Parts: sequence; C-alpha cells; structure tokens
Amino acid sequence: MTTAAAPALLEDTQLSSRAGGLYRHQNIVTGLIGGIGLGAIGWALSHQFLQGSNWGTDMVVTVTMAGWVIGLLLGIGAFNAPVLWMLGHDQTHEDELYLAGVGQGPRRYWKFCTDHKVVGVQYLIAVFTIFGVGGTLAMMIRTQLVSAHSSFLGANAYNAIVSVHGMAMIVATIIMVTGPFGNFIVPIMVGAKDMAFPRLNALSFWLLFAAVPPLLATFVLGGVDAGWTTYAPLSVQAPPAMDAFAITILTFAVSVTLSGINIIVTVLTMRAEGMTLNRLPIFTWGAVIGSALGLYAMPAFMVGMVMMITDRVTGTSFFVAAVGGSGWLWENIFWIMGHPEVYVILIPPVAAMLEVVSTFARKPIFAYKVTVGAFIAIIALSIMVWAHHMFTTGWAPDLNGPFMLTTELISIPTGIIFLCVIGTLWRGSIWTRLPMYWAYLFLWNFIIGGVTGIYLSDVPADNYFHGDMFVTAHFHYTLLGGAMIAAVAAFCYWFPKVSGRMLNERIGKVAFWMVAIGIQITYFGMFWEGFEGMPRRVAYYDPIFLHANQMATVGAYLLMAGFVVLLYAIIHSWVHGRPAPANPWHAKSLEWMVPTPVPLENFLVEPVVTADPYGYGEPEPAAPAAEPEREPVPVGSAETTAGEPV
Amino acid sequence: MSEKPGRERKPKALGIILTFVAVAIGVAVVAILFHAQTYTSPVGTQVAKSVGTVTVNGQTLQHVTLAFNTYPDASGSVDGQAIHPGGNPSWPSYGPTNQFQVPAHALVTVTMRQYDSGGSLNNPWFATVRGTVGSVARINGRLVHAVNPNNVGHTFTVRGAPGTDPGFFVNVPLPAVPGNNQSDNGQYETVIFSFVSGSQGVYGWNCEYPCGTSVAGFGGPMSAFGYMSGFLHVV
Amino acid sequence: MSSDLAVKTREPDPLPPEKAPFFSRPSGKIFLIWLAMTVVGVLIGFYAPHHLLPTMLSVEGRAVWATVVLLTVLAAPVAAFVYGVGFYSLVAWRQRGYGQSDEPPPDGPPLRGNSGLTILWLVVSGVLVVVMLVWGLAELASENATHPNSLQVDVTGQQWLWTFSYPGAGNLETRSLVLPDNRTIVFHVTSEDVTHGFWPVELGVQVDANPNVVTTIQATTNKLGAFTVRCSQLCGLYHSFMYASGAVVTPQAFAVWLHAHGASALTASDVARVSSSS
Repeated sequence: MTTAAAPALLEDTQLSSRAGGLYRHQNIVTGLIGGIGLGAIGWALSHQFLQGSNWGTDMVVTVTMAGWVIGLLLGIGAFNAPVLWMLGHDQTHEDELYLAGVGQGPRRYWKFCTDHKVVGVQYLIAVFTIFGVGGTLAMMIRTQLVSAHSSFLGANAYNAIVSVHGMAMIVATIIMVTGPFGNFIVPIMVGAKDMAFPRLNALSFWLLFAAVPPLLATFVLGGVDAGWTTYAPLSVQAPPAMDAFAITILTFAVSVTLSGINIIVTVLTMRAEGMTLNRLPIFTWGAVIGSALGLYAMPAFMVGMVMMITDRVTGTSFFVAAVGGSGWLWENIFWIMGHPEVYVILIPPVAAMLEVVSTFARKPIFAYKVTVGAFIAIIALSIMVWAHHMFTTGWAPDLNGPFMLTTELISIPTGIIFLCVIGTLWRGSIWTRLPMYWAYLFLWNFIIGGVTGIYLSDVPADNYFHGDMFVTAHFHYTLLGGAMIAAVAAFCYWFPKVSGRMLNERIGKVAFWMVAIGIQITYFGMFWEGFEGMPRRVAYYDPIFLHANQMATVGAYLLMAGFVVLLYAIIHSWVHGRPAPANPWHAKSLEWMVPTPVPLENFLVEPVVTADPYGYGEPEPAAPAAEPEREPVPVGSAETTAGEPV
Repeated sequence: MSEKPGRERKPKALGIILTFVAVAIGVAVVAILFHAQTYTSPVGTQVAKSVGTVTVNGQTLQHVTLAFNTYPDASGSVDGQAIHPGGNPSWPSYGPTNQFQVPAHALVTVTMRQYDSGGSLNNPWFATVRGTVGSVARINGRLVHAVNPNNVGHTFTVRGAPGTDPGFFVNVPLPAVPGNNQSDNGQYETVIFSFVSGSQGVYGWNCEYPCGTSVAGFGGPMSAFGYMSGFLHVV
Repeated sequence: MSSDLAVKTREPDPLPPEKAPFFSRPSGKIFLIWLAMTVVGVLIGFYAPHHLLPTMLSVEGRAVWATVVLLTVLAAPVAAFVYGVGFYSLVAWRQRGYGQSDEPPPDGPPLRGNSGLTILWLVVSGVLVVVMLVWGLAELASENATHPNSLQVDVTGQQWLWTFSYPGAGNLETRSLVLPDNRTIVFHVTSEDVTHGFWPVELGVQVDANPNVVTTIQATTNKLGAFTVRCSQLCGLYHSFMYASGAVVTPQAFAVWLHAHGASALTASDVARVSSSS
C-alpha cells in the first residue's frame, strides 16, 4: 500500500528495458543449449584429434562432460560480469537489480539470480529432485533384493544403480540444509540483506545443476561398477562412465566450496548491529561449522578425482599397483574426505533441528556454548578418524589402535548434542506440531545409528562387520534416520517462511508415521542381514539371508510411500495451503521478524539485536519493545548502505 | 500483500512437480531400458539338446549337449546370427549366446570352438581342467588335463550363485590359436568336455583369461555382461 | 502487537512435597523408565547377537560375539537415559490442546544450562569411552599376537574367484578352504587384479586382498564346522558370485584332505612324487 509520497518497495522498482544486458535473454534454456552445444563441440573435437590408443573414449567423455559444464555456465550467464570486467566495464545498479530478480516475477527462478532467497528455493527444488532420483534407484535396489537370485536387474545394471544411488544421495544430503536454508534463512537470521557474494551464490547453484546430468549419463556410458566410493584400481578399470562421474565430483566440489565460503564470510562479516557471536542462532553456527569442514574435505575429493582421471586417460600410475601405484593411496585420499564429509552432512541439519526443539519446547537451547563447542570438537576430531574405514585393508595395522581411539572419542561431543536436545526438552512446554514430531524421530534414530557406529569403531568387531550390510544399516540410520529426518524437521519449520503457506499437518503426520515405521523395518532388516553375514553391494545373495532382505524390502516400500505422502503434503500445501503469518511459530530469531513473503534485501528497517533468540520464559529487555511501523526506507538512501552485499 | 504472488505460485508449483516427477521417472526408465536388462542375445537362452542317457560312475544320467564358441571380436556372425548384436564390435565375445539351460544332475557335453589368439593367464591355476568328468577335456582330439598357461585364449569357468550348490565348479581352459592373429581367419581350436550339472538354480560363468582392457586386462569386455560372462540355468 | 511479545510463562510446576516418594517425582519416574529400557536393552544384548550371528568357529569369532554383547550392554543405559528423558518430556510436559493451535503454549522455564550436569555427562561418557577402548585394545593385542606352530595359507583373490594354497603342501592350490581345528591360521592374502575383501565369515576376521602386496590376518580355529568365504569389497561384475566354501575339520582329516584332495589338483609328476613319498 503506497501513497503518492511514499517510495515503492525495492522489488517494485521499474527497470529500463535494457537493464541486465545479456542476462535478459539468458535462462535455463540457453544454459542447456550452451551445455549441450559445447559438450557436442568437445565431443567432436576430442573424437577427431584425441582418439589415440591410450586416450580413447575416456578422453572423449572427459572433454565432453567438461564442455557440458562450462557451456551450461556460459549459457546461463555466469561469466557475463567477469568478462565485462575484463573488458573494463562494470554492471550498472539497474543491472544488479535485474540480476536480483526485480521485475521478472516467477521467471527469475529459471535464471542466474543473485537473490539468496531465489537461490534457496532453486536449491530446494534441486534437493527434492535429486532425492527423487536417488530414492527411485533405492527402490530398484530393494526390488532386486526381495529374492535371492532375482532377474529384475542384471549384474552390470545393479552395480551402476548402487553407485549412482550412493552418489546422488551424498550430493543431496550434503546440500539438503545448507543449500535451501543456508541460503534462504542464514542471511536473514544474522540480519543481512543478502549473502556476502551473491553472484558466487548463484554460481554455486548452477554448478550443482551442471553436476547432475553427467552422473545420470553414467548409465549410458557403461555404468560405474565401483560404488560411490569408486575404489581404485577397480575404478581405473571401469568403463568411460567413470570419467563422467569424476566430472560430476569436480563440479559439485567447486559448488560446495563456493557455497561454504559464502556462508562463512556472510556470518563473519555481515551480521547486524548487536548480533554478537554469543547471540548467533545455533543453526548459523551449524551452517558455518559444517561449511568449514566442507572446505577442508572437498579439495581432497577433487585431488583424488583428478588423479583418477589422469590414471585412466593419460596413464599415470597413482593407483595401479602393477605400474607402481597403490589402491591404498586412493582409499586414504578418499576417506580423508569421506569421513569429515558425513559431518558436513550431519551438522547443519542437527543445528537446524535444535532451533526446532527450542521453538517447540518454548525453552532456550540447553548449554548453548557447550553445544557450539561440541560441534567444533566434532569437526576437529573428524579429520583424525578417517582410517576407521580402512581397518581391514591391511594398509597400516599399527594405526588401527590410534584410529580406534580417535573414533571412539567422537562419541563424547556427539553425546553433548544429545544432552542439548534432552536438556532443552526437559520441563519445556512441548508444542506438538509437525516439526517437533520429526525432532523426536531424530532422537530415536540417531541413538541407534550412533550406537551401531560404536560397534564398528571396535577393530576386532569391525573385522567381522566391515563390508557387510551392518555398515549399510548403520550409515542409513545416521544419514537418513538422523540427518535427513532433522532436515525434514527444519523444512517443516521454515516452510511457512519460504513458501508463504502453512504445511498441511494432518497429511504430514500420516507421512510421519509411515516414514518412522518404515525406517525401523527397513534398517533393522538390514542389521539382521549384516549380523548374518551378508556382504554389501551384492545383486545375488545366499538364500539364508532371504527373510532379512524381505523385511528390508517391505520396510523400504513403506518408507517410500511415506515420502511420497510427504511430497504430496508439500506440493498440496505450497499450491493450496493456508497463507502463513510472518511468525507462525512465535519464534524469536530474525527470520521470523520479517514479513512473509520476504521482501528483497529482507529488512525494511535495519535490525538492531539486543538479545539472543532464545529468550523464552525471560522478560523482554528494554526498547525496542514494539515492532516498528512498516515505513519502507527509500532505496539508495544513506541508511541502507551499511551491510550491502559486495 | 497483493494476490499476484499466490496466483503466480500455482503454475510454478505445477511445473516443478512435473519436472520432478519426470526426472525421477526418466532416470528409472533410462536405467531399466539401457542397462537393467540382463544382456540376452537374440538367440536367447540355448537349451541343451537331449541325446539320451549315459552311465557315469554307476549312475544313469540324462545326457544333453551344448555348443558355443569364442571369437576374437563380435563383428562376425555364427550360423547367420550376429555374435553380439548392438554390442561393441571390436570386443572379443562368446557366441551365439551367453546363457545356457541344462537339466539338473545331468551329464552335459559341451563342444566349443575357440577362434581367438591369447597369451598368459593372470593366475596359471586356471590352465588346469577342473570339475569335468575325469578332470580332462578333449582338445583337438587329444585328452588333456591342462594347457600351457602362457597360451590360453579364453576359459570357461562356472560356479553357482551364492548358496546354489557350492560344491559345483567347472573350469576349462581354451587354448589360443597359434600366432598373434586377432582377426577371425577361420582357424579354431576344438574343445569338448563333459560335466555333471549341479542342483537347480542360477550359475554364473565367466572367462578368466584377461582379454579385456585396463587393469589386469579385466576391463572392457571382461567386465561387461554378455561378452565374457553369462549364466548357466539349471532347471 | 505488543501482546505478541509479552512473555507468557506457564504456571510453575507444582513442587512435590518434601517427603514425596521418589517415584512420583519426575526423576523417579524417569528412573523407572530408564531401568525398564536398560533391562530390555541388556536382554537384547544377550539374546540378539547369539541368535543373529552365525555360529563362529574361531577364537576371534567368539570375541566378536562377546564385543557385541558388551557394547550393547554398555550402550543400553545410555540410550535408555536419552530415550527416557526425551519421551518422558513428551508425556509429562506436552501441552494438550495446542496440537492444532496457532497460538503457542506458554513458555517453559528459562533453563539455559546446568554446568554440573554437563560435567557429569562428559565424565561419564569419557569413562565409557575408556572402558570400550581398553576392551578393544586388549582384544586387538591378543588377535595380533604371534602363535607358534601356526599354519600359513595363501589366499588369492581374482575377479571373480577365491583360490587358496598351502605353502607347506607343494603346489596345492584349491577352491575350498579346509582348515585344521585348534590351530592358528595365518592368511597371506593378495589379489591378481583389483581390491577384494577376504572374509571367512564364521572365522570372524577379514582383510582386503590388494594387488602386488600381501596382507595378513590370523584366526585361531576352535570349533568344527562349515563356513563360507565371501568377498566384502565390491570388485566389479560378479562380486556377488565371489564366494568359496570352507570347513574346519579335525587335524587328522585335514592331513588326509591335504594329500587326497590336493593330489587331484597336482600335475602328473607331482602326483608321482607325492605317491612315492607317502
């Protein structure tokens, strides 16, 4: 509602018809054209000039996939601004506004858009899609395993599906909270207008987008038969699909690195006045700490994949023993990434879930500083435990003891997280809305996942359980039952802010019970398989494992049905749901103090923070006591220069 | 706020739903169509022909026969049938099919023609004939117990799927044609052997001579079902 | 608008009378829940592994069973405590009538921490870690100890078959892993191509087979019976088919097998040599 004298909201700015320049014509369609086009050019050139005996189709696939990635980024406009800078020009303020999505309505979701809220929603849809792909593949796996010697999938297909299922789920779980909510929520939570590097933010999303098709292309390039862990030398032996897989990893790793840097710098440098580190919401701590660990881990993955490509394409001998290399080198490099990576997956959702627990117990976070310290201790220890994945490799038996020590030590800070949860629940006013349901399910699942991890940390026990379905059940309990369920809690919590609608809780609770029971049946079935001695990643198994597998498959179908019901609840609510108020949960962090839908640059008035967001049960501090009148501040005025994105 | 965002949300949400569903289904379809089907040659499964009964070690068993060959590349054809249609024509391959069916507890006599050159096995253990009647094979008319492990073309090595007759095992080395001739010049080694089939179930066979690419020669055709690997169905 | 920010705390929880029985206080009720769940957990610890694990044929295999039982028993009270407090909170302090409400229930008490409890928690978890570590290290040391009169078996993994050879028995290489009872077997494991996982399941040990290196693992048999060797490291197309049968037999039967079975796998001249010496 505006009067003649009051200026319009930032997002209602009228831009000239030239604002944005080349960006006006670039969107996902031009991106796909660019990607397919440059990929085709790369294919033709490498086919023509590089089809030598040692180079063959591995080089062709590598060049084609690299062409796809770069072409997509060119087509979507990621390089426009840097090229302009190189030519001595810059973007005008109008161009920047265009890039932030002003004047484009819903079309901005299909473009290279620097508004962190748009990037957050783009990530959200990407997460759903990738989970859909990975989940479909999981159902194919479980369908094959419902009988001992099924002919549903061939042996090649099964291995390829297992590998892509694993990698797709790893990609989805790494970004499931830092992508949508690290982008959408964190800047608002700290009182900033946007992220520190909005263009890099958009780039990190489109890199993720570029990384997925090569992963799917592995199915038609011979299939990756080496699991998502792609141990060498099996992966050096693998068909050209492995090169596409490597491009996926390289692209995705850059995406995660950029996203991590963005989150960390935003939180360190762009907090609102009065937002000291002590007043930072714990989700923000989780996003920063998880991202910092990702910065440590991702380069190892990239280095490993580059070495893998050179071994396959140019004949280096990093990993092939016959020519002087070692598969153990691969395993070490991989797990130096692989173990910290599960904490990159776990910490942001758990921190987000702690916000949920606090809000729905109407109590402050219990032992806030100790919990933050526990997160930091977890990531510090996690870089010292990687060889617990290698207890049975024979690599360094003398190191098994020390790695057992560091691994078992991680249970101490992890235990502090449980203390935080139950301490927050203790004597709280438990408000049983849907997000809280998921938080309780996390509690149940993560204890089981964590305890079974302790079995695996004991070297003699691991000598039995390594490489069997017990390990698979353990990490599904922690990653799906723990991290993903915490992410669902976070999603249900922030859904009203992101979508502007209330999630239908009746349908959501039906989904909840299906998922909760489905998880127990599926993964207890897998623990049973593991106890009995069934190896991992097998398409055909000894019929003595039949009943356990049937139990796991039945549970998986129930779990899948539960997720489909949840998806229906989400889509139905997003389209038809009750419009949400700005603060439906009466929570206290800054994201709930802005209107829904959130205006461009988030705050109509710069917030000044005087307390942490956990003041439940405590009297309000002195002024500002009342929500200020919604008088928008004119764009470009002196009051809005503070905290502008770079 | 105005109604515009609500109205605009609807088409966006529908588009997203459709995209999501399409992608998920699309991946499943791709996976199933392109690679999920166990490679089956157009010839289908070769069902062993019954040729009567025979007495082995005092037991009377049904006697059946199978015939198949190994080729240096899949570009040719067997009795008018392409060896490996739709496959990589430069990869060595078994033909005309890689799936066989025999009755349980029967004497199976296999006649093979080996058209390919070869070299050294990774593990010379596979140069010895195992699991056949008498642990011998008739190679070019002569009964032998083993071949030169440095002159092997391919092997035919069979064992049961996990839990299916773990005692069953057959390994027959197939000598290489002389010289270093990779192309199909019509020369072949004839290998005939007999074994007693095991209990009902699925058995996997694969070649143990590294005629493939990459690490240890087990990449390429050696790792792609249908060239140097297949199933023996015992019914 | 200011009412949005007014603090509504709920009525203070009624303090139990000084002499209220322990079990009517929250801590008492939680103790009962904890006790019940711990008992259930301990029972699961004793029952489940015994029935779910295969019958182990070695000292190390039995140690696996013992470790699983011990860790379950140690974990049960910890899990029971977390579950107990968490779910008791749901039962005792769930605000009824707010399940569908847009208004939140009144705030809970502003309990931000309890340093005594945190320190106690850290100490207890530290002690548990030390106990697990000592157990694990002791077990590891005993499993790595060298034994006199051990039997060496060379294991070769190749795509997609296991073969075993007995260095003390000439050129014997076989698909079956037959072992004598009451003996320490030292496996020397290698691979011809990619990484495999040598896992004789019922012996409770495993080690990877890597190309161009030899890794070792040992197991001391203590029970007769059949077992299966499976591959525990994905190795390509027929990883699922890569298994072998094994058996722990009496030392006499083992000696007979070594000569008899081995003979048929030897070349003609080896057969002549063995027959002339026996």
